[in-house]
Amino acid sequence: MARDLLLRVHQMSRQVFLVPDFETNEGTGAMSFEMSKRSLFAAAALLAVTLAAPSAHAQSRAETLRYVTGATVNTLDPNIPGSTREAFALSMSSYDRLVSFGRKQLNGKWVFDLDTITGELAESYAVSADGLKITFKLRPDAKFQDGSPVTAEDVKWSLDRCVSAPILGKAQLLTGSLTSPDQFKVIDPLTFEVTLPKPDKLALPNLATVYPIIINSKLAKSHATADDPWALNWTKENAAGSGAYIVETFKPGEQVIAKRNEAWNRGTPDKPAAFKRLIIQSVPEPATRANLVERGDADLVIDLQASDVQSLEGKGKLKVISTPQYNAVTFISMNNTIPPFDNVNVRRAIAYALPYDDMFKAALFGRGAPLYGATWADGKPPSGGYPIPQPIKLDLEKAKSYLKDAGMPDGFSTTFSFNVGQAATAEPMAALVKESLAKIGIKVDIQKLPDAQMSTAINEKKLPFFIEGIVAWLPSTDYFYRNFYTGKQRWNYSSTDNAELEKIAQEARFEADKAKYEAQGKALNAIHFDQMFQIPIWQAAQDAVMQPTVDGYVYQFTRQVDYRNLSRK
Amino acid sequence: MSMTTIETSSTLRHTAFVLRGNPVTAIAAGGAVLLALMAILAPWLAPYDPIASDVPAALQPPSAAHWFGTDQLGRDVLSRLVVASRLDLTIAVTAVAVSFAIGSVIGALCGYAGGRLDKAVGRFVDVLMAFPLFVLAMAMVAALGNRVENIVIATAIINLPFYIRFARAEVNIRRNLGWVEAARACGESHVAVVLRFLLPNVLPAMAVQMSLNLGWAILNAAGLSFIGLGVKPPTPEWGIMVAEGARFISTGRWWLVAFPGLALMSAVLCFNLLGDGLRDILDPRMRT
Amino acid sequence: MNTIGATLLRAGRRFVSSLPALFGVLVFTFLLMRVLPGDPAVFFASGPNAGKEEIEVIRRQLGLDKPLPNQLVIYLADVGRGNLGRSMMTGQAVAKDLRERLPASLELTLTALLIALVSAVPLGVIAALRPGSLVDHGVRLFCSLGVCVPTFVSGLLLIYVFYYLLGFAPDPTGRIDIFTTMPPQRTSFLIIDFLLAGDFEGWSAAARQLMLPAFTMALFVIAPLARITRASMLVSLGSDFVRTARSVGLSWWRIVVTYALRNAILPVITIAGIVFSTMLGANVLVEKVFSWPGVASYALDALLVSDYAPVQGFVLLMATIFVIVNLLVDLLYGIADPRATVA
Repeated sequence: MARDLLLRVHQMSRQVFLVPDFETNEGTGAMSFEMSKRSLFAAAALLAVTLAAPSAHAQSRAETLRYVTGATVNTLDPNIPGSTREAFALSMSSYDRLVSFGRKQLNGKWVFDLDTITGELAESYAVSADGLKITFKLRPDAKFQDGSPVTAEDVKWSLDRCVSAPILGKAQLLTGSLTSPDQFKVIDPLTFEVTLPKPDKLALPNLATVYPIIINSKLAKSHATADDPWALNWTKENAAGSGAYIVETFKPGEQVIAKRNEAWNRGTPDKPAAFKRLIIQSVPEPATRANLVERGDADLVIDLQASDVQSLEGKGKLKVISTPQYNAVTFISMNNTIPPFDNVNVRRAIAYALPYDDMFKAALFGRGAPLYGATWADGKPPSGGYPIPQPIKLDLEKAKSYLKDAGMPDGFSTTFSFNVGQAATAEPMAALVKESLAKIGIKVDIQKLPDAQMSTAINEKKLPFFIEGIVAWLPSTDYFYRNFYTGKQRWNYSSTDNAELEKIAQEARFEADKAKYEAQGKALNAIHFDQMFQIPIWQAAQDAVMQPTVDGYVYQFTRQVDYRNLSRK
Repeated sequence: MSMTTIETSSTLRHTAFVLRGNPVTAIAAGGAVLLALMAILAPWLAPYDPIASDVPAALQPPSAAHWFGTDQLGRDVLSRLVVASRLDLTIAVTAVAVSFAIGSVIGALCGYAGGRLDKAVGRFVDVLMAFPLFVLAMAMVAALGNRVENIVIATAIINLPFYIRFARAEVNIRRNLGWVEAARACGESHVAVVLRFLLPNVLPAMAVQMSLNLGWAILNAAGLSFIGLGVKPPTPEWGIMVAEGARFISTGRWWLVAFPGLALMSAVLCFNLLGDGLRDILDPRMRT
Repeated sequence: MNTIGATLLRAGRRFVSSLPALFGVLVFTFLLMRVLPGDPAVFFASGPNAGKEEIEVIRRQLGLDKPLPNQLVIYLADVGRGNLGRSMMTGQAVAKDLRERLPASLELTLTALLIALVSAVPLGVIAALRPGSLVDHGVRLFCSLGVCVPTFVSGLLLIYVFYYLLGFAPDPTGRIDIFTTMPPQRTSFLIIDFLLAGDFEGWSAAARQLMLPAFTMALFVIAPLARITRASMLVSLGSDFVRTARSVGLSWWRIVVTYALRNAILPVITIAGIVFSTMLGANVLVEKVFSWPGVASYALDALLVSDYAPVQGFVLLMATIFVIVNLLVDLLYGIADPRATVA
C-alpha cells in the first residue's frame, strides 16, 4: 500500500515537471523557477507527502483541455480534400479568418449567430451602400505564430488560394459570389477590399466559414514548388496561421496537442484563449469515451451515443448541453427518379407510414427536435424558414389510401439503405421502418453499407430509399433549397427536378426584402410538403458532455467545438 | 457386413470408454445436441416474435414477462437469442462444410497427383495463408455486400488453406501404401481411389479441425458484426446482438450483452471441447 | 558450421520461393480493393459543398482516372521503390504511417504472446503430467473458455471492470498516459525505451497501459499453446530417454524440466510463431477497443472508407512479416534439430 502511494506521488510530481514543456516560449525566468519546483517535488515525493503533489498536478491539469473524439484530425489545412470535421474544428483555433460569427442564446443555450459578424483579423469592416464592396481594416497588432505581422498581402494570397487552388474552399466561396482573385485587392498593408459582381448576403458570412483561413504567405510560399504553387503538401502537415493555439504534436488518427498562443488576442475581451494546452485525442469506442468523461479523465466530448448521454445526464455529475443541430437535418430520402418513388402518392404513402415517435424514442432516445407532427392551421406553412416541422404523422389508413391512389394497393418491394458509420441510430430506425411499411404491404430489404459505398451509391443515384443527413454552414432557406433540391449532384438526395422550386430558390438568393424572402420561403416549403420529395424527420441533438468546471461551450456551425470558447471555472 | 458391425460397435465402445473417462467431452457433446435442438425447435421455443418491436417497453431488465429483458426496440431478448441459434449454427455449419468439401477434395487431389497441379494450388494456398485472415474476411464481405451468403463464403475461404494443406499432407503420406496400390491394380480410376479410399481415411483427423472451426466461424461472424459488417437488421444473430449489447455496457444494461454473449460462448465452448474430445477419440497417439 | 551454412542456404531458398506468394498477395489485394463498391474519391470529397469537380480532383490525385491495368503497373512500380502510396484518411504516406504504428502493434502482440506462453506452458505441462485427471480437464476447460469469448467483448468487459468500476487500470486510450513524456526514441518499443532512459515511472505507466489489451489478446491464444505443450509433453514424457532418466533415478523436477520440457518445446515454438503472425493481423478489434494506435485498426478504418493504399500496405506488411516469422521459426528449428535440414 505504502509503495503504491509513493509510486503515485512520483507519477504526479513527474507530471508537474511536464509543465515547462509546453511553455517553452516563456523564457528562461520560468526555467529556474521550474528547477526549484522540481527539487521541491522530488523532496515531497520522497517524504510521500500526499497533499502538495496532487494540488500542483491538478493545477497543470486544470489548465489543459482534454477533448476526446471518435473521429480524427487528418490534416492541419482544412482545405485539403478529405478533411474531417475534427480538422475543421482544429483549424478554427490554429488559424484566424478575416471575420467570425457571433453567438446568441437559443432556448437558453449558446449557439453561433449567422447574423452577427464580428472582426477576427479584421479590426473593422464596411459594406458599401450598393453592397458591391467590402472593405476590411486589419488589426495592426495581429501577428502570425512565427512573429511576423499579418498584412493585407497575406490576406490576398490566402483568399486567392482559396478560389484558385483545387481545394474545398473553392466550392464554398462560390456560394458567396467569391470566385476570382480579381475580386481581392490590397489597398495598403492594413486595408483589404473585396468586390462583388452583385450584392450577395452570403459573401461576408462565407469569409467566416472554415476554409478562408489567413495563411502566413511568406512562410507558405517558401515551401511551394512548381507542381504545388499553393504549398498544399506543406500546409497539410504544418500550420502557418495566427490562431489562438499553436500545434505542437500532430499524429493523424491518434492525437493533436496544441499550446496556447500567448500573443493571440482575438477572443471576446481581448484576451488569449483560456486553456493553456489543448489535447485532442481519438478514442474510437463510444462507450470508452463515455467512461473517460464520467471518470473525469476527459473534459469534453460531443459524440457520445444517445443512450450514454441519457444515462450520464441522469447521474447528474456532469454538465450536458444538448442543442438541436439546427443547421442539420436527418432525412428518410427517396430517389424521385427511381420507380415507384417517382410517383408522388407513393412518397406520400411512405410519409404517413413511418413510425416517427417510435424512431425518435428508440433511435435518438428523444434527443433532438422532431420535424414531424406539426399542425399547419390553414394547411399552409406557418414559416418560410428551413427546415420546419411538417404536418405528417403515422397514419396507416391514409398511407394505404395514397398507395391505392398510386395504383399499388398491394404495395411493392424495395431496399432501404443506411451507412455503417450511422448504425447506432440508423439500425433501430431501419428495423422500425421495415416493420411499419410491412403493414401497408411494402416489403423492405435493409442494406447496411460501409460509408464509402453509401456515398458512392448516393452520388451515382443508385439508391431508391435511404437514411441520410445534410448540414449547411450558412443555413438560410434559399441555400438549403438550392443546394439540396436542385441539379444532378450528390447532395440532391431525392434527385428533385422541379422547375418552380428552382425558380423561386434562385430568386430568393438575391432577395433583399425580408418580407418577400419570407413569402418565397413559405412557397418553397409548400411545394416541398405537397411533393414530399423526401421526408425530413428530425434535427438530432448535439450532446456536449463536459466536466461541470468547463464553461463557455457554444454550438458552432461546424457542429464541432470551438476550443477558443472554452474556459474552466 | 459382420466385419463392419464389429468395427462400429468397437468404435462405439471405444467412444463410450473415452467419454466416461472424459466428462468434459461428454458435457460438450450434450451441449452441442441441445444447441442443435434449440435451433430446430426455435420457432416453438421462442415466447415472442423475435422481430416485433414494442418501443414503449424498450430496454427493460429481466422480468417474469421477459426473462432476458428487452432490447433497444423493446424486442424480447430471449426470443431473439433462441431464434438466432438457427442462423448462427447455419452460418457455422455451412461455412465449415463448404471449406471442408472444397478444401479436402482439392487437397487430396493435389496430394495424390502431385506435379504441376500441386505446385499451382500450393502457390495459391501460400498466398491465402500470408493474408491477415480477419482483414481478408472483412474485405470480402465489404466487397460482396453483407448478406448471410457472403459471410459464409468469406468464412469458408479463409478456412480453405487449412483443409487443403491437411488433406494434401495426409493423402501424400498414404498414396504409395500397399492397399492404395492394390486398389489401383484392381482397376479403380484415380479419382475413385482418391474419393473412395484415400479421403475417408483422412476424414476422422479432419473432423477435429472441423469442430474447432465451427466455434471459430461463429466468433468470426461476431467480429464482423462488431465492425458493422454482420447480417442485416432486424435478423437476430448472436454476434450482432452481442455487438449491439456491448454499446450498452457503459449504461449498465448488462442483459443485452450478457445473455447473447453467454449463448455465443457456450456454443463456441461446446464445439471447441468437442473438437478436443474428438481428437482424443480418433488419435490413439494422444490417448495415453 | 556445415549445418549452419546448410540452414542458411535453405532459409535463403525458402525466402526466394515465398516471393511469388508475396507478389500474389500484392496483386490480389489490389484487385480486391478495386472490387469494393465504394469510390474513395466520392467519400473523401465530402465537404459540405463538394461537387463533381472535387471528386475528379481526388480521383486524379489517387490515380483512379487511369485504366485498371495502368494503375496496377504504377502501383507495382511504386511498391518496388518503397512507396506504398498516400492515405486519404490520415493525409500521410502509408509507409510512414505503418512505420509509426507497427511498433505499437508489435509491442502489444509480443507482450500478449509472452503472457500467453508464460501461462500456457506451465498449464500444458501440468495437464500432461496427469492426463485424464481433474487437473487435465480443468486446464482444458480454462483454456477453452478463453477462446470462446469474442475479443471485443472481453476487452470491453475488462475496461468496464478494471478501469470504470475499480479504477485499477489507466484510461484505455493508447500506449501511454497522455500526460507522460515520451522517452527518447530508440527502439520504438515504449517499455524498452523507458528502461533505456532509466525512467521507471514512465516504464510502469507504459506497462500498465499495455496490460489490459495484452491480456485480452493473450486469453485468446493460451488454448492452442497449452494444447500443443500438453501434446508434445505427452510424447516426450513417454519417450525412451525420459524412461531412462527415470530409471537412473534422477529427480522428478529434473526429468520434467530438463529432459521432457526441453525436448517438447520445439513444436511450441513453431506454433508460437504461427500464433504470432496471425495475432498481429487479427488484433484489429483489440486495437479498436483500446484505442491502440496500431497497424490493424488503421487498416480497418481505411477499409470501411475504401481508402485503398493503407489496406494494401497493411496486407503487404502482414504478409511479409508472416514470411519472415515462418523463416525464423524454420531457422530456429534447423539449428535446434539438425535432422530438419535433411528433410
